[in-house]
Amino acid sequence: MAGEVVIQTRNLSKIYRDFWGRKKVRALNSLTFDVTKGEVFGLLGPNGSGKTTTLKLLLGLLFPTEGEVNILGKPATDVAKNEKIGYLPEESYLYRFLNAEETLDFYGRLFNMSAEVRKERSRKLIERVGLTHARRRQLKEYSKGMTRRIGLAQALINEPELILLDEPTSGLDPLGSRDMKDMIVKLKEEGKTVVMCSHLLADVQDVCDRIAILDGGELKVLGRVQDLLKDQGVTQIKTSHLSDEVVKEVEAVLTRNGAKLLEVDHPTTNLEELFVKTVRESAARPGQRYIPPTPGNTPAA
Amino acid sequence: MSLSFNPIPFDLAAGFAHWLIVMAIVLILSGISLTLMSLAAGGITGPLQVAWHVKDGIADLLGTSPRRVVALTMLTFREAFRRKTLWVFAVFGVLFLFAGWFMSDVTADPALQVKAYVSFVLRTISWLILPVVMLLACWGLPEDIRARSLHTVVTKPVRRHEIVLGRILGFVLIGTFVLSVMGAVGYVWVIRQLPASMQSHLTARVPIYGDIRFVTREGLEKNDEGKYIRDGINVGDESMFRSFVEGNSKARAIWEFKDIHPERLAEPGKLVLESTFQSFRTHKGNMEAGLLCQLTLVNEAKNVRVPLKTFNVKEFHRNVYDVAEMNPVLTDVDGKPANLEKDLLHDGKLRVEAACLSGGQLLGMARPDLFIRLPSRTFAASYFKSIFSIGLMMVTVIVLGVVAGCFVKGPVATLLTAFVVIVGRLSHTFMKELTSGYYRDSNFQMQGRGILDSLIRIPTHLTPGIEMGDGFIYRAIQAIDNVELSGLWAIQHLFPDLRTFDTTEYVANAFDVPWSASLLPSLAVTVGYCIPWIIVGYFSLKIRELEAK
Repeated sequence: MAGEVVIQTRNLSKIYRDFWGRKKVRALNSLTFDVTKGEVFGLLGPNGSGKTTTLKLLLGLLFPTEGEVNILGKPATDVAKNEKIGYLPEESYLYRFLNAEETLDFYGRLFNMSAEVRKERSRKLIERVGLTHARRRQLKEYSKGMTRRIGLAQALINEPELILLDEPTSGLDPLGSRDMKDMIVKLKEEGKTVVMCSHLLADVQDVCDRIAILDGGELKVLGRVQDLLKDQGVTQIKTSHLSDEVVKEVEAVLTRNGAKLLEVDHPTTNLEELFVKTVRESAARPGQRYIPPTPGNTPAA
Repeated sequence: MSLSFNPIPFDLAAGFAHWLIVMAIVLILSGISLTLMSLAAGGITGPLQVAWHVKDGIADLLGTSPRRVVALTMLTFREAFRRKTLWVFAVFGVLFLFAGWFMSDVTADPALQVKAYVSFVLRTISWLILPVVMLLACWGLPEDIRARSLHTVVTKPVRRHEIVLGRILGFVLIGTFVLSVMGAVGYVWVIRQLPASMQSHLTARVPIYGDIRFVTREGLEKNDEGKYIRDGINVGDESMFRSFVEGNSKARAIWEFKDIHPERLAEPGKLVLESTFQSFRTHKGNMEAGLLCQLTLVNEAKNVRVPLKTFNVKEFHRNVYDVAEMNPVLTDVDGKPANLEKDLLHDGKLRVEAACLSGGQLLGMARPDLFIRLPSRTFAASYFKSIFSIGLMMVTVIVLGVVAGCFVKGPVATLLTAFVVIVGRLSHTFMKELTSGYYRDSNFQMQGRGILDSLIRIPTHLTPGIEMGDGFIYRAIQAIDNVELSGLWAIQHLFPDLRTFDTTEYVANAFDVPWSASLLPSLAVTVGYCIPWIIVGYFSLKIRELEAK
């Protein structure tokens, strides 16, 4: 695998034990994978598959029963690694009695940043996650989406090289979810490495370069999203709108060459796309109903 | 009013040496236990992991960031304020609003009135602030772990000891703020509540205490072993704080004062002695007059004895004896004039003897019952020293609570801390007596302190003062009991002696809170316990899986 390895796990296992040391559950079994610099890596799996356990082992919140974890060349238990890491937990477990500015200032202090740097970064991040209007409100007054945004902002306060996101889009409305995914893509463009775990497959598909699918604590699938999803037995051609006659001609050409036309259809957008467009149009043209574009009906720009 | 205990100056060097011994024993025992446990858990690599953790701990300590500690301190402070935790202190205000109803005219004696008011204020502050800071400290970290807000902190480059320190300092800051407010309100309340006629009793006497010993009725100063006699007659008290000297006999109590220089006295060369002796009458006598007492100033080096004018002891009152005022001319036993500075003081030492002159009656005396008065300090100085001492106790409880919260959940941490506080407050003396064998700092050595020994003594009705013998069986019992007592000795050191912090009696009895006998040992207990506890807290949090299920 090309590129600098940022995360390396080798035969990583985790067994949860009870008070008396008796085995309760094997949450992870001999997990081995690498994450390289600059990629967005997704950990997928059903509930209880071990993806959050993996993330917590990477962060040093749990200690492995067996195996090794190295992050940015350091063991997971080494505090120094955290200098270059940003972490967004599943729920935004932030201090609810602080407001957005105080939250970012507090986490900035934990990175030993000077007051000027903290102030500047806080301002930029609050702006970036769209919370300028609510920067002085205590987090207990925030909606779920706002809490996730400030959670992301705190994860980015140190301009990390590696960002670990636990269910980043969970609980967000489609618009928030889209914003979050856009931010992940932006982070990738900035050269950051992102590891996210989620069971929202569409979200993972949208942003991840590579994925690992876990089930029952074991690694089942590992690879590039495009490669894993590619159906080598089918060829898809996208063109501009074709009339029925042209379609018939294409079918004839295909038949002559021994192929079979399986489906000719107009592509549909997904529901998320429609929702986002509707809400954005609504904001741009208050009081007007949004009419989706159809052939012969292109809405005004 | 005198003290009901013996204020002994703290020997810092001896205290530090004792602390080092205890720490060395704890470290050795911990090292052995950890090595055995790690061998059992991880085989031969186990001890290496322990060594790695210790090395890592030292590296962490060197990497401490004051900015991170301050951030966590301010977070804790802000949390307490924003969550309105401090509203509980409104109880304090309510108590003071209505206390005046119940406390006015407690007694006609101004000194007792002042004592009642000052005791009420200091004890109220102490008993209100301690439970609240204890709950805050015990629940802070466990709640942070339960709510998982700590996850966003430990995933930053924060060392675990910085979390422990930040939490401790945060709670100390809150406690200090609240204690300052309570202290100031309490002070104003005492000043305003007491009538003008009693204000003069709000003072802080500065005593110099001497070492006490006794002379028997036959005039003997030493016992059969050639040692000075430390106790007088016991008139039947189970707890013999005061020893009694028999009237009209050679019996007397001797105080040896050190470091007495004329310039230290109330006025240069003016010696003021204050006493609070207890009377014990074997017959009624003249009930209107107190028992007759005579003080004698002695310079043994020059063999000068100056008997002072006698006085009647006013029981339960301060007997202030201004030597120059009562004896315009000092004369020795031969009638020769004597000078305090030239004839009686020798290298800053002065001996004062007290004898009872009422035949058939006895006067009870303890070390703090006679002292030399130095210029008094202000009540405010003494009062705020006492508040400082409460602050030190608060710090000790906070550190204990936060450390307990590092390895157990909130309710268990609260129980654990409360247990240590209660034992440290109520049972420390008992454990100390059992392990040292000496009853209440006296010379009375107890026998039968061990389990096996007691099992024989109880059914056979043998008192602790009687030796059981020197046979093989008894020596075996003693050997086994010594092992138990050594264990108890070690356990005793896990509990801080919280009585050290109680300075109420000094202030309430119009004494200055002494540095060497009170504040210094309080400070030593705080530092001596907090350092190892913080280390325990750090390692507990470091080796703990915050997400363990």
